[in-house]
Amino acid sequence: MQREEIAELAVQKIADVLGVDATEVTEKTDLRRDFEVDSLELMEMGARLEQAFGIRLQVEDLVKMDTVGDAVTLLEIRLGVPA
Amino acid sequence: MRTRVAVTGIGLRTPAGNHVKTVLDTLNAGVSVAAPVPELAGAPVGFACTVPDFDATEYCSVRELRQLERPVLLALVAALDAVEESGCDIAAEPESAGVLVGTGIGGLTAAEHLVARHHTDPGRVSPTTVPRIMASSAAARISLRTGAQGSCLTYTTACASGATAIGEAASKIRSGELDVVIAGGVDSGISPVVMSSFARMSALSTRDDEPRLASRPFDRDRDGFVMGEGAAFVVLERWDRAVARGARILGEISGYATNSDAHHIVAPREDGAVAARCMRRAIADAGLTPSDISHVNAHGTSTALNDQAEALAIAATFGAHRPPVTAPKGVFGHLIGAAGAVEAVVSLATANTGLVPPVANFAGSDLTDLIDVVAGTPREVPRGHVLSNSFAFGGHNACLVLGPGDA
Repeated sequence: MQREEIAELAVQKIADVLGVDATEVTEKTDLRRDFEVDSLELMEMGARLEQAFGIRLQVEDLVKMDTVGDAVTLLEIRLGVPA
Repeated sequence: MRTRVAVTGIGLRTPAGNHVKTVLDTLNAGVSVAAPVPELAGAPVGFACTVPDFDATEYCSVRELRQLERPVLLALVAALDAVEESGCDIAAEPESAGVLVGTGIGGLTAAEHLVARHHTDPGRVSPTTVPRIMASSAAARISLRTGAQGSCLTYTTACASGATAIGEAASKIRSGELDVVIAGGVDSGISPVVMSSFARMSALSTRDDEPRLASRPFDRDRDGFVMGEGAAFVVLERWDRAVARGARILGEISGYATNSDAHHIVAPREDGAVAARCMRRAIADAGLTPSDISHVNAHGTSTALNDQAEALAIAATFGAHRPPVTAPKGVFGHLIGAAGAVEAVVSLATANTGLVPPVANFAGSDLTDLIDVVAGTPREVPRGHVLSNSFAFGGHNACLVLGPGDA
């Protein structure tokens, strides 16, 4: 899976939690600053990403996500995509 | 000397308007605002009184708009309006400011949607589910937004919840526990399963062909209540404190009493004896006698049983005095947990104006032997204290006495 594919699916899952169209979310989107995401919503995003990508994410990883790009990078690592 | 409790702020989101004057004008016109609700297609009753064009965007953060359910948004917006009007700086004295909310239905409609969506895969519910559906959500959100750090409580006494919250708030001001209380009621239960639950016990009017004629408190052709939704909040503080800070006093919570029928889980006691005792105690709590009451804002649901029992109770309380009786549910329906709060606000307003709104759709009944129902056009009475009744399922009774404010 290439970064672009990961990003497209991750953006969709994150937008679902935010209740907005996927076009309103980019890798630069800052989850806390732009959408005031709280810890419960980060957990929900994590759950949806785990389901979509078939992997496990740690809560400590989730709380370190500031931007959607951070989430994509985290997924790349967990999916074992070579940098 | 007894501590007087002043109302210094009011906030409303109701089917009859979002400002006191609009609501009074709608009530005085005497025409019901009930209308068909598209989302109720297939439910046993397809009409209700909804808050039209409700929009919380200007009041709420993007996170609140995403996470708060409709009843909580209605409550938060009404509460913020009340605080704004009062001019109270809650953040300056957070420990002595409280939030008291009444709700009967709470997060039930959100739970209905949750179950419909997840009954086959409960493991996939959102981590935000509990804060969305917990009954104390509205109170907690109002505390979060205003910074009030005193008592933050949720009262649930079915259709009396809003009156209970305001009465208990007045008690906390009088006892000195709190200096400022944001108090009120909220409910929004206009969903197919919730509506059907009331309809299946024959509590709702089934006049689907004539929604505007459906709510007719005390009328001989009444056949049940009409569901409403909304929120009403007030800001309460000691009278002397309000005067000292130069606040405009909108009215007074002068008396409160609550008791329980201990008779039947939903039917009122037929003779209304316990409800009558609640009225007398509220009037006595205000330091008044029944003849001091200028008019009565009845619970008046338009159900056969409530209106019969309440008429008996009013007659027993007032004897020969026969104060005029109005019942706003004829116009804006039954707001359940918000009903007692919005009717307290209406009573505060009519205590000031001395103009008692007519009961919508009242064309007559044998109950006029017992009570003087205001019908057709508004009735002028002297400015003065009003008794507002809330008699709920569960046998929960709550009565408030409301007085005028600054002239």
